[in-house]
Amino acid sequence: MIELRKVRKRFGQRLAVDEVSLEVPRGEIFGLLGHNGAGKSTAIGMMLGQVWPTSGDVKVCGHDVTTQRARALQKVGAIFETPAFYDYLSGRRNLEILSHYTAPTSPKRIGEVVDWVGLTERVDSKVRTYSHGMRARLALAQALLPHPELLILDEPGSGLDPEGIAEMRQTIGRLHRELGLTILLSSHLLNEVEQLCTRIAVLQQGRKVFEGLVTEIRAARSQVALKTPDFAFAVRLLQKRGLVTGSSDNRFLSLKDGCSTAEITRALVEADIPVEGIWQHEQTLEDFYLSLVKAPSSTPAVN
Amino acid sequence: MFIAQLKNELWKLFGKKRTYIGFGAFIFAQSAMLLAFRFTRWQSDFERLLSNNGYLATEFISALTVSVVMLMPQIILLMPLYTTLVGGDMVAKEAEDGTLRMILSRPISRVRLLFVKWVAGVIFAIILVLILGMTALVLARIWFPWKGMFFFAPGMAFSVLPAGEGLERFALAHVFLAVNASVMLSLAFMFSCFNMKPAAATILALSYLFVNVVMEGIPFFDRYENWFITHHFRCWLYVFQSPVPWAEVFQSVVILLATTATVFIIGATGFQVRDIKS
Repeated sequence: MIELRKVRKRFGQRLAVDEVSLEVPRGEIFGLLGHNGAGKSTAIGMMLGQVWPTSGDVKVCGHDVTTQRARALQKVGAIFETPAFYDYLSGRRNLEILSHYTAPTSPKRIGEVVDWVGLTERVDSKVRTYSHGMRARLALAQALLPHPELLILDEPGSGLDPEGIAEMRQTIGRLHRELGLTILLSSHLLNEVEQLCTRIAVLQQGRKVFEGLVTEIRAARSQVALKTPDFAFAVRLLQKRGLVTGSSDNRFLSLKDGCSTAEITRALVEADIPVEGIWQHEQTLEDFYLSLVKAPSSTPAVN
Repeated sequence: MFIAQLKNELWKLFGKKRTYIGFGAFIFAQSAMLLAFRFTRWQSDFERLLSNNGYLATEFISALTVSVVMLMPQIILLMPLYTTLVGGDMVAKEAEDGTLRMILSRPISRVRLLFVKWVAGVIFAIILVLILGMTALVLARIWFPWKGMFFFAPGMAFSVLPAGEGLERFALAHVFLAVNASVMLSLAFMFSCFNMKPAAATILALSYLFVNVVMEGIPFFDRYENWFITHHFRCWLYVFQSPVPWAEVFQSVVILLATTATVFIIGATGFQVRDIKS
């Protein structure tokens, strides 16, 4: 649904996106991660034809965004970090205005979508009276009006309270399940991305430093957590015996290939080192992301 | 589709309170001027002017005469202000508020979007001029009788017209006033298409108009008067002359329309190549 090939974007002297290539297949929920200024919004801007790439190709729904923008965006809905509306007009009028930039939209269709997002009771009130959560629902409604096949969500949870974030997560899940939409989700909420996305890409300083499946991240580099009074001593002993390859955070052990938790426990007990706890630790997306962005930029993380 | 988009642009435009500032200001200014005409020495001075030229003052101090006298300062001072205020807002305010990014996530071309907006702006300019003319005439009629028109503008020969013909010329003048208002709006609209605040677009447009007025007023530049758009704004005054200098009116209108097309193309080009970011 989305294809970026060696895309670069330069703003004056600053290179905002540098040779980024990525592909979002149909039916996926794809997470785009990166710190502020990493190039996520610029990449999304290029996908929507709002920012012109300096070089490279951007295709959406099979059409080049630079040369066939109207065709490329015909089946695309988008939501931005702070959804902006005409506050002095009603929610319904806003939906009419925005949807008519795509195609004529019937009042029936507007009613259906408003009902789907749960805004029926307030849709005729002026937007200036809406809460942040209601504005987020209105943003979702405007994105859904043109019967999209692809939804681009740029920081949709920004500014929402925990309840709102949970609701947003459920809604994205529903969009994927019930409407079969392909979703590109750019977010700082790693927990949400981990729960929702099947695949992610991480941008850092305009470059893509990772692209892969979330399940791979969880499985990769799995570690063992060890609770013992003298962790450093235990690590030295285990390294001497060739059972571990490294440690981190004064808590985690990276085991040598083929080595099991039972072997570690046996070795420690034999050396009279008390083992207060030992368990398999599955790497979270947050662990992975932080290790990735803290690593020197030259580190060839993946892909 | 175009009509639906235009209707929506008009909803946006006329849904904003600031769009009505111009209408309110015109009515306030007209009321203040009428009070001044009615209760100061203006009337006796005007009677003397008419008498000195061999006209019976009582026949020409009328609603039509007063309406045109009232329009002149408003066209010079207030109309540029309120048309550029709206024109400067049309794109830049949407960019500032973030709604432009919402619109441009839709498959509408930038040039089409600008064209729809510009047409909505021109409709605003026409309505503003019509309201201005109608309120001037209605308010003047409350205080002054319905009689012939005496027209006098600096640098032009005066003319007198019977009431019926005066009204026709008054209506015709508004066609050219609408062209003037559209040019002023288009100028601010052009600046609004570039990456700047709405106020900056308005100020730049006003500055351009003021520079034109100042340069046009410098005797040295007399021979270049056709290069100043404010010179061509005077075409609405020509229609009150007898006979109407149609060649000059036509020339000015063509130049004004060409100016509008030029500024639209410049604005559209700037808008097309710029990046729209949050």
